[in-house]
Amino acid sequence: MKTFKKIASLVLALVMIASCAMLASCGGAKNPAENNTAYKIGLTGPLTGAASIYGIAVKNAAQLAVDEINVAGGLDGVMFELVMHDDKHDPAQVANLYADLYEKGMQVSLGTVTTKPGLEFTGLSVDDNVFFLTPSATGDDIPKNDNGFQMCFADSNQGTAAALFFNENYMGKKVGIFVKADDEYSTGINKNFKENLDASFEVVEASFTGDASTFDSQIQTLKDCEIVFMPIYYTPASQFMTQANSVENSISVYYGCDGFDGIDGIEGFDINTVPQEVSYLSHFNSNATEGAAAEFIAKYNDKYDEEKEPLNQFGASAYDCVYAIYEAMKTAKSAGKEIPANISASDLCEMLKDVFTSDSFEFRGITGKTEGNEKSVISWNADGTVQKEAIKYIVKENTAG
Amino acid sequence: MSKLANIKWKHYINYIVVGIFTIVTSILAFSGGLQQSLIYKLEEVAINIILAVSLSLVVGFLGELSLGHAGFMCVGAYLGGKAAALLVPVLGNGIPTLLISLLIGGICAGLCGFIIGIPALRLKGDYLAITTLAFGEIVRTIFQNTSAETFGGAIGLKTPRFDKHYFFIICFIIVLLTLAVVQNLIRSKHGRAITAIRDNEIAARATGINVTSYKLIGFIVSAIFAGLAGVLFSYTQNNVSSSTFDYNYSIEILVMVVLGGMGSINGTIISAALITYLNKQLATVLTGDLAVLKDLVYALILIVIVIYNNSPAFKNFRDKYNLANLIKLITRNRASKGDADDTRRWDVVPTKIKMDALLSTDFVVNDVEPDKPKEKDNE
Amino acid sequence: MNLLITFVNGLSLGGIYAMIALGYTMVYGIAKMLNFAHGDIIMVGGYTILLFLSVNPIAAIIASVIFCMAVGIVIEKVAYKPLRGASPLAVLITAIGVSYLLQSIAQMIFGSAPKFVVIANLGTLKFGELAIGYNTIITLACSVVVMIVLNLFVKFSKTGRAMVAVSEDKGAAQLMGINVNSIIMITFAIGSALASLASLFFLLKAPTINPTFGSLPGIKAFTAAVIGGIGSIPGAMVGGLLLGVIECFAQSVPAVSPYTDAIEFSILIILLLVKPTGLLGKKRREKV
Repeated sequence: MKTFKKIASLVLALVMIASCAMLASCGGAKNPAENNTAYKIGLTGPLTGAASIYGIAVKNAAQLAVDEINVAGGLDGVMFELVMHDDKHDPAQVANLYADLYEKGMQVSLGTVTTKPGLEFTGLSVDDNVFFLTPSATGDDIPKNDNGFQMCFADSNQGTAAALFFNENYMGKKVGIFVKADDEYSTGINKNFKENLDASFEVVEASFTGDASTFDSQIQTLKDCEIVFMPIYYTPASQFMTQANSVENSISVYYGCDGFDGIDGIEGFDINTVPQEVSYLSHFNSNATEGAAAEFIAKYNDKYDEEKEPLNQFGASAYDCVYAIYEAMKTAKSAGKEIPANISASDLCEMLKDVFTSDSFEFRGITGKTEGNEKSVISWNADGTVQKEAIKYIVKENTAG
Repeated sequence: MSKLANIKWKHYINYIVVGIFTIVTSILAFSGGLQQSLIYKLEEVAINIILAVSLSLVVGFLGELSLGHAGFMCVGAYLGGKAAALLVPVLGNGIPTLLISLLIGGICAGLCGFIIGIPALRLKGDYLAITTLAFGEIVRTIFQNTSAETFGGAIGLKTPRFDKHYFFIICFIIVLLTLAVVQNLIRSKHGRAITAIRDNEIAARATGINVTSYKLIGFIVSAIFAGLAGVLFSYTQNNVSSSTFDYNYSIEILVMVVLGGMGSINGTIISAALITYLNKQLATVLTGDLAVLKDLVYALILIVIVIYNNSPAFKNFRDKYNLANLIKLITRNRASKGDADDTRRWDVVPTKIKMDALLSTDFVVNDVEPDKPKEKDNE
Repeated sequence: MNLLITFVNGLSLGGIYAMIALGYTMVYGIAKMLNFAHGDIIMVGGYTILLFLSVNPIAAIIASVIFCMAVGIVIEKVAYKPLRGASPLAVLITAIGVSYLLQSIAQMIFGSAPKFVVIANLGTLKFGELAIGYNTIITLACSVVVMIVLNLFVKFSKTGRAMVAVSEDKGAAQLMGINVNSIIMITFAIGSALASLASLFFLLKAPTINPTFGSLPGIKAFTAAVIGGIGSIPGAMVGGLLLGVIECFAQSVPAVSPYTDAIEFSILIILLLVKPTGLLGKKRREKV
């Protein structure tokens, strides 16, 4: 009989808990942003672990933009609020985080910082019709639904652009590719690069995986190439360059994509010890010394610890994302739409989609090609990809003689 | 009535609790009373329970240290997920597709369990541990480098997602299935043989137990359920990426098994549920600048619990303030499944040599407890 | 020629793995525990070098060795000692906890951005076409010296003999008047010092550091220690060098390169199937 009582009490306890949960979650189907007093922007990104430099820059820069907007009075008096969860660059974390953001009243989003979690985010956000503009998830599939937009260039775009540049400038030279085999960004760009590269190029490919940082073998493979294309992030790239210095090689140019941005800002790394030309095709130069970009960099470094949380193009892109959303909301408002602070994510998404895909919407930002103190012109295609002018940044010229 | 009274309820307590929990949450889900974030957490709790219970068969009962459980899960997730992706256009995204992909994922993972079971016959302790770890990493690397058309390569495999509101119910049904198979296996004479191997392989062999086949059975059953968990996982994701299944995941499952008390299924269920929930909750509470504290808090909790639970110095203290009572209190309030009281009963065969034989070491000096006749149970 | 260069590169990488594996194997031999936090001691060593580099490279190295020893001892006292006598699996879990702890503390103090730590530019030694970096030579020489010294230490010094005794049978060692606790502490100190040296050689080769810097070499060194036969000092050396050479050869073939980890681990499994206690591991007879 005793056990019966036990079980009965357990069942009762469960029912009680269940009813509590029921009470707590009433109104799940309604607009979760109903009680918002400020516009809530949500996103996820890696804030811990190996990829956290990118996530932290995004967090800081986005917060900077939100603070600036709020100081200037928000959107007609309604403030903005930023919530960023840590996804550790692990797609398996995203569902829980996304649901939490949405239920706590996220109305518009910056998506995710990296591609793999981004694919998960894309699939989840389309169900609730949440608008997102990702600063740096470059995957081609990220903007595949109507609610997804990119501030960065898509992988295919970057690969193709680099290949065309090679076809134009480096014809007949021996090309090496240094790729991170387990990284979707790197393999994605590489695939498009090879597809668009002229068939007459002689191509040698070397790869690494994970957090590897010793590249002796890969340097041996690539040392006879004249141009090395590196669709990777700047940390391993700087490693490769440093280690290649002690090997006789015929490399004259290291050519990268937007992941290269920040390579001259690594603490303790003197880019001038690399004799080769280091250049990349990107939308932002985080060591710009003039123009709108430099202004932003100064503001960022004012507020955050440059050494611990350095800026990179991820951050710049996030800054632009927040402002782009702000401008788009302003545009929608001036077109007569009403945007109360507790607007549902779905309603806001419809407005923002219209604005972003309309031909007339042009955003002036700090990423992309800027002329003097003018900001760059950024617009979006109907498929959610970004339209802006990429720039080839030469971090340093060839000093080998 | 007398029949009912004769049933040893405590042997079925975990089915009952998990079952009731499933029914209650299902009713809530169908009435729209469950938040989606809670549903996602429940999915993950269920998957981790399956993983932990199946790993505890190998670690807790067979006494072999395995650090490659995520590898089996990876096989299940990729092969089951691929099967599902191929079948959805034909059969639709329903139960038949799910069943077939579960079958495929489970069988393939089971085959891998067989393959990894073979070295297990020859290797002991840490050597086996590194072999299983190596297996997990090999599987992951292979899937990572597949072409985009087959398994998606670095970007991962696109898998169909089941109806996100109700999928956790299926996960919990598989939890019940796992419990049924693993518990019945352990309670059978085969289970006795398996625990005998754990306690002393040579003695077990001497009594005529077929060590080879029982070890293989242990590994295969454990791998099959890890594979099923993998298939379920692939159904909760839009895109399965091999980087999820690295050795850190295997270690996390091992942590659940060890914290739950080796060789205790109910303890494993509780700890798997609590750890998963804790991790998910921390991730949503400590956001932004506080995110870095998340790992710190988790690490501290881990160290403190393990030291408190296992340190010989705290033994008296532990006996006085029984942790089992505390867990019971918590679980009642939190609606977790299982009855902590049960952890020391039928499923722990009192043995002289405890889990210390596990790492093939003769490390322990003063931890050999004499056999105490525990509650007579005739089990 | 290329093969020779790859071989030398492999040796230099292997020397680093060997150095870490030596620490792993020492700790395992005495404490009979898999110290998953060992890799993170490397990271601690690297950051200490970074902190003191502005003073003087030599001072930085010494500071790093001392600090790592201290950290190793503290970890042993706080996280592992209370568990002496408990299941080895419990110690494994606390080791994992310590590993997470060290990583998050490092991220809190130094941030997650990678930092370059250029200790010295040592240049290269040329034999005709073959150029060998001095860091390679130093790494190899040091790891060989360390291995020999450790071996002699264990074989002939009083403390070393006590270590052997503790690793054979703790209870019996205690009865013989050996202070088991202090022997284990010394072992951890030596293991951590080796880890800090490993971080030095690693930084000479690849000069960046971030909070997760130690986990990959840590796991590789674990593999190396097992290949050589865990608990065996020459075994760790052989295992480390072998692993380094395999890794470099696998990476030098572009088609195979992405599978490097899989190849290393496959070789490990095959080797263990042939020799279940590693290359130089002792076979232990089981008693009933």
